[in-house]
Amino acid sequence: MAYLTLSNVSKQFADSYAVQDFNLDVDKGEFVSFLGPSGCGKTTTLRMIAGFEIPTDGKITLGGRDITNDPPNQRNVGMVFQAYALFPNMTVTQNIGFGLRVRKEKESDVKDRVKEMINLISLEKHANKYPYQLSGGQQQRVSLARALAIRPNVLLLDEPLSALDAKIRVSLRAEIRAIQKRLGITAVFVTHDQEEALSISDRIVVMYEGKVEQVGTPFEIYNFPKTQFVANFVGSLNTAVAEITDPEKGLLSMDGVQFIAAEKMDGLKKGDKVRIAIRPERFSFASEQKKANVVDCTIENITFLGSVVRIQVLIGNTKFNMDTFNNPFLELPKIGDKTQVTFSRQAVLILSPA
Amino acid sequence: MKRGGVIWSWIWTILGILYFFLPLLATFMFSLRAKLGVLSFKAYENVFIDPQFITSFSASFIWAIFTIIVGVLIFVPTAYWVRLRVPQFRAPVEFITLLPFVIPAIVYVFGLVRTYSQPPLLIVDSPALLVAGYAVLSMPYMYRAVDTGLRSIDVQTLTEAAQSLGASWGTVLFRIILPNIRIAILSGAFLSFAIVMGEYVLAQYLAKPAFAPYLSLLIQNKAYEPAALSVLSFALTWACLGIIQIVGRGQQGQFAGGH
Repeated sequence: MAYLTLSNVSKQFADSYAVQDFNLDVDKGEFVSFLGPSGCGKTTTLRMIAGFEIPTDGKITLGGRDITNDPPNQRNVGMVFQAYALFPNMTVTQNIGFGLRVRKEKESDVKDRVKEMINLISLEKHANKYPYQLSGGQQQRVSLARALAIRPNVLLLDEPLSALDAKIRVSLRAEIRAIQKRLGITAVFVTHDQEEALSISDRIVVMYEGKVEQVGTPFEIYNFPKTQFVANFVGSLNTAVAEITDPEKGLLSMDGVQFIAAEKMDGLKKGDKVRIAIRPERFSFASEQKKANVVDCTIENITFLGSVVRIQVLIGNTKFNMDTFNNPFLELPKIGDKTQVTFSRQAVLILSPA
Repeated sequence: MKRGGVIWSWIWTILGILYFFLPLLATFMFSLRAKLGVLSFKAYENVFIDPQFITSFSASFIWAIFTIIVGVLIFVPTAYWVRLRVPQFRAPVEFITLLPFVIPAIVYVFGLVRTYSQPPLLIVDSPALLVAGYAVLSMPYMYRAVDTGLRSIDVQTLTEAAQSLGASWGTVLFRIILPNIRIAILSGAFLSFAIVMGEYVLAQYLAKPAFAPYLSLLIQNKAYEPAALSVLSFALTWACLGIIQIVGRGQQGQFAGGH
């Protein structure tokens, strides 16, 4: 049985729904991310789990207990906020011990637990400092320790890395994941950063306009997007309109260019137009490796992105981006060159009828 | 800035200082002339040995303390709740807090006397009515000081963080919000203190002992002592403002860096 369950949860503000008919089961010890653009309802859902918002409809259970209408201070959930939310009048030690003292735990136990948490986040030298004396990354680690100190049933993280610079963000997200695994705590993480969600999660819930678009592992979400929104939102994507020429064999035609897809075309017939998608990294030059599809193209543009080189190619009348790993011996074509690119039949995703 | 501009700035500054300080200096010099032919603190001595001074000053002091307590108990939770839960009511609440500036104290006191001198609330003789009246008069200072303090912290996030850690509303208010706006509360408290110590109309018409009516009475009967008391009143107000500055200075860095 799932540890955290949201059943048909909706939240309405005035005339519009921020979250609509949200269903999710989270297992104990699982790390689930809510991913989506601003205003998709991910934070509202998290706030409903925390108790800061009460659902208009639906039910939330945690560890078998219905917590839908419980006040936030009776849910035993740990929350990490984007803005750190450390208490400015308290030192690191006092901040971490706050929740335990509120629970009136024995002072010796509080001290032991606070020490344990400070060791966990490696801030031993900063234990007696005030929040304003710490960097953003250090403040967020204290915030994490404070949330974990109370041994919460579930750890909620509301875009905790958004206010940090890129390097700290990457190192802290690895630290969060490592701590979560070590403690075996159930965690729900909200982010609009797909890379963050893909790198840290056991499962991702992609949300759009208050609804769940897709739930799956990072691998499933990236490689097998079920909706056009997921395909567009997660990772880079080339999309185009193609005509089905043989649904049995998976043959398609785009601007007179023939290619083949592995995906089933149930319910589609010859002559139907569909929107297809191919990720940039699924292309390669035909000379390097031949796959099921080999098509003629013209090099339109080349952009150096560091570890990756993005090449824009014109196939038929449609422009596609192709990503190839950078290396010092890479021989790149020139703009205007005519060449061939190849991609597998599995690389062709059929999103929807055009 | 051009040289001419600097000169004019200094001229206006000096004129301003003269405008404000010359009368005060004149009052101070006058207060030292109680003894014929020599400068002395005789007028101050006379003030301090007058039992009525002690009575009226200590009465005003007590009213001020109670006013501050009532003000903090009413306006801190109000400003906090408005900011946290009903921000749409901020404008009307701010308007209400400014009413003591536009309603003359004499109108207000007659309203109080008329309302509370008849059943069912016959409390016109109670000091509680005077304190309540003072709390209303000091409302613009206390409310705005507290509201400014709340603006300097992220009230909603701090409240939610504390609640998620298990804190009740009382714990949030007393252990998180109050300590983080204590400088603002102190500012409001000292301003309220200064207002109460110098307030005349309410104490006079509610017939309660207070410092300002005593000063008024003294002006009618004596020459040098009122001048001495005026100087003391100024000193008291400035001391309050000075304490706000001193206490506030130490905390600025902490809050500025905390976010």
